[in-house]
Amino acid sequence: MQDTIQREITIKASKERVYAAIADPKQMISWFPDAIEGTLEVGERPIFDFGEYGKNQIYIEAAQPHEYFAYRWIPGANHFIGDVLTRANTLVEFRLAETGGITKVTMLESGFASLPIEVAEECLNQNTGGWEYMLGRLEKRFTEE
Amino acid sequence: MAVVETFKALGDPVRLEMVQRLASGSSHTVGSLSSGLGITRQGARKHLQVLTDAKLIILEPKGRETEVRLQRDSLDTARAFISELERRWDRRLEALRNFVELESLEEPSSNEE
Repeated sequence: MQDTIQREITIKASKERVYAAIADPKQMISWFPDAIEGTLEVGERPIFDFGEYGKNQIYIEAAQPHEYFAYRWIPGANHFIGDVLTRANTLVEFRLAETGGITKVTMLESGFASLPIEVAEECLNQNTGGWEYMLGRLEKRFTEE
Repeated sequence: MAVVETFKALGDPVRLEMVQRLASGSSHTVGSLSSGLGITRQGARKHLQVLTDAKLIILEPKGRETEVRLQRDSLDTARAFISELERRWDRRLEALRNFVELESLEEPSSNEE
């Protein structure tokens, strides 16, 4: 399995503003989990609540305003409650760099190579998984015909 | 070319239903997989052969029954997993941008709490 996923996006806002959207639970729930139980401070183990998709307990690795925020989790897990540090996990890092009022956000998730394949299988068995997605599209084609 | 094979094999409502039953995670025998589909044993066997040739399923004799399993080799699984997670990150980062940019428009002078 490839080890990393990297994604970049630019946002028309200061890095202070973007950092708050990432590291403040009240703001994070506007774009990421539906709800957060706990705080996003370093060393904490808050629970990301994705509503019908389940809950995922994570570990906050670093929080350096307004440059860097990182946490560990089991990616794609539907229901994981427990100490993520005792399992194979991935590290999700957000790096912010501002130039002239535009902030570039680089998201790097790493550690996939050490994940057991069962984690991937479980994720793909969920309704949002690749197989279901592909089958759903094929099925749609049949019912439309 | 493998993709073409896959889609051809799935391009039939009976075979699609069979694969969907397997994709939902439960284990199946030839009998349970073809029940309620309005096909004969002979017909079921033909469909299963097409799915086997396309490497979508594996047939495994278990005593008097034959177990049918979805064939996802780990490389395919890993690739599908990574691209699913990439899609999710794209959606999330898009949502982050919308949230931040729309908020900033609504409250232009709120950069000091």
